[in-house]
Amino acid sequence: MATVQVSDLRKSFGALEVVKGVSIDIRDGEFLILVGPSGCGKSTLLRMIAGLEDISAGRIDIGGRVVNTLSPKERNIAMVFQNYALYPQMTVGQNMGFSLEISGMKKAEIDKKVSEASEILGLTPLLQRKPSQLSGGQRQRVAMGRAIVRDPDVFLFDEPLSNLDAKLRVQMRAEIKALHQRLGSTIVYVTHDQVEAMTMADRIVVLRGGCVEQIGTPLELYDHPENMFVAGFLGSPSMNFLRGRIEGQSLLLAGGERLALPSLPKAASGGDVVVGIRPQGFAAGLQDGARATIKVVEPTGADTHVLADIGGTEITCVVNDRVDFAPGQEIRLSITSAKVHFFDPASEARLD
Amino acid sequence: MTAIAPRREDDSLQLKPRRDPFLIILWIILVTFALVWIAPVVLIAFTALKSNAEVMATSAFTPPQEIAWNNFSGAWARGNFETTFKNSVIITVIKVPLGLMFSAMAAYALARIRLRFGKLLLLFFLFGAMIPFQVMLAPIFTLVNGFGLIDTYPGVILPYLAFGVPYQVFILHGFFKAVPKELSEAALIDGASHVTVFRRIFLPISLPVLAALLILDFVSTWNEFAMALVLLQDRHMWTLPLGLMSFQGQFSTDYGQLNAAIAMTVFPAVLVYMIFQRYFVSGLTSGAVKG
Repeated sequence: MATVQVSDLRKSFGALEVVKGVSIDIRDGEFLILVGPSGCGKSTLLRMIAGLEDISAGRIDIGGRVVNTLSPKERNIAMVFQNYALYPQMTVGQNMGFSLEISGMKKAEIDKKVSEASEILGLTPLLQRKPSQLSGGQRQRVAMGRAIVRDPDVFLFDEPLSNLDAKLRVQMRAEIKALHQRLGSTIVYVTHDQVEAMTMADRIVVLRGGCVEQIGTPLELYDHPENMFVAGFLGSPSMNFLRGRIEGQSLLLAGGERLALPSLPKAASGGDVVVGIRPQGFAAGLQDGARATIKVVEPTGADTHVLADIGGTEITCVVNDRVDFAPGQEIRLSITSAKVHFFDPASEARLD
Repeated sequence: MTAIAPRREDDSLQLKPRRDPFLIILWIILVTFALVWIAPVVLIAFTALKSNAEVMATSAFTPPQEIAWNNFSGAWARGNFETTFKNSVIITVIKVPLGLMFSAMAAYALARIRLRFGKLLLLFFLFGAMIPFQVMLAPIFTLVNGFGLIDTYPGVILPYLAFGVPYQVFILHGFFKAVPKELSEAALIDGASHVTVFRRIFLPISLPVLAALLILDFVSTWNEFAMALVLLQDRHMWTLPLGLMSFQGQFSTDYGQLNAAIAMTVFPAVLVYMIFQRYFVSGLTSGAVKG
């Protein structure tokens, strides 16, 4: 277990800079998730921590030791790859014991550590199998077992669940979280899936275009997104953004519709503003509120997602009750949630 | 769902599977080629078992009436096989594994270790495969002679290595490049050095390619004639293909003995093929990474 400090880290491939001065302090035993869209530099950042990618500028400390020029094996880290990267010719047991074997550990001790790890992960009956004889979820568990036996300072996960089917992903998500609680180790985890980030992380780092957009706990980021990107990235379905002008206690939309607001921004009152409202923050009915036209109705069983057009802007609202809406129907929307976010239309930054 | 359910009358029409005409043509071509390739093997086998008189009297594809086993003992003595066989074995057994090892190591370095002039080096290797060796015969002779290695094993093994390595590097480099990079990265993080990654990960998973290259290289080294003819002047250093020359007299040729000698020459190559072809199993990397 160790802390990881990333200070003003940069990475360029030729003229293209993909990581542009990222600084993160990862606490000892913390589960930190790097999340962002494809090409935001999150995997590159993880690979730089692992030592698989050179650093163009900046500094990485693991456990108080600068590791900038150290090779991967000198950093005492373990990594779980998206495609598992199991050694195909070795059995599950050999795969897990490989790192201990080349470090010169005695056979009996290796067997003990491998059996401990396989016990944790439920791999004991599979120890003699080859990777080709395992299912996707089992392979992923072997890859994690290979990391656990080494008892590393830091675990690095590079989108470990994206090759699994949806159901297995949910199950493995819980297993990884339970594993972290059991081992108490420092984990840096990369994903593009905001649900994974929200459900597993102690803290989330949202990246875009090689820059950190915001760092915080899942609920901090969900409740107080610092800009429209973070607001739109976290939460499912994603946040609705309505552009308009504040007039009194309501938002005047471009189409002339008015939405009553539960609160007002401190700054920029009277001017143009973008209002962010979560899909769960609307009430859809037939009487009160702004007029909207239904485009699509998506029942999920638990609730219903209604895509509607309000003053030329498409929004999604989640309705909990069974509703009898049809596409083309005109409904009335009002804001029920007290949590309304205000953003500056030009800078996209939060107005508070 | 009902719209895409198959109709019943279609089922009855499909009882007899239709053969793809393309596959039929392919099979005809395949059988024709197989016959063309099998014919000389049959010819050699039959002739090797006939006496010279019977060779002259019967057609080439008539099976032997009386099996002339003494062709083999005669050929063994006349071709000086005791010496040539030994020389061929020594040269092949040293050259083939050594060459494969060099090629595999070079290919790994070019494919997996970041080198400043890696691409240029690879090009340099490939260039070696582009020069026809006939062009090089005279310079090689001068060079080997300059080192005083004419009529020695190293004198022929070294040029063999030089001409074998480029195409093996080319093929192995392509194979190693296709190995998912996460596999070597995982091993590097696990604490392995490049030597360990090469030996413990890459060699085991490239067994099929190595077996294929070993067979090809064994056969071409075993059968090599031109370079051996130039570099091995002393009869005591001759290899099997050179030994076969003894059967071609100016006025007479003993076809029975000649073919017995050919059969004996070919046999080890067939044996090596049969031993190593079982490594031609596909999917050795399956299960390594998802894909």
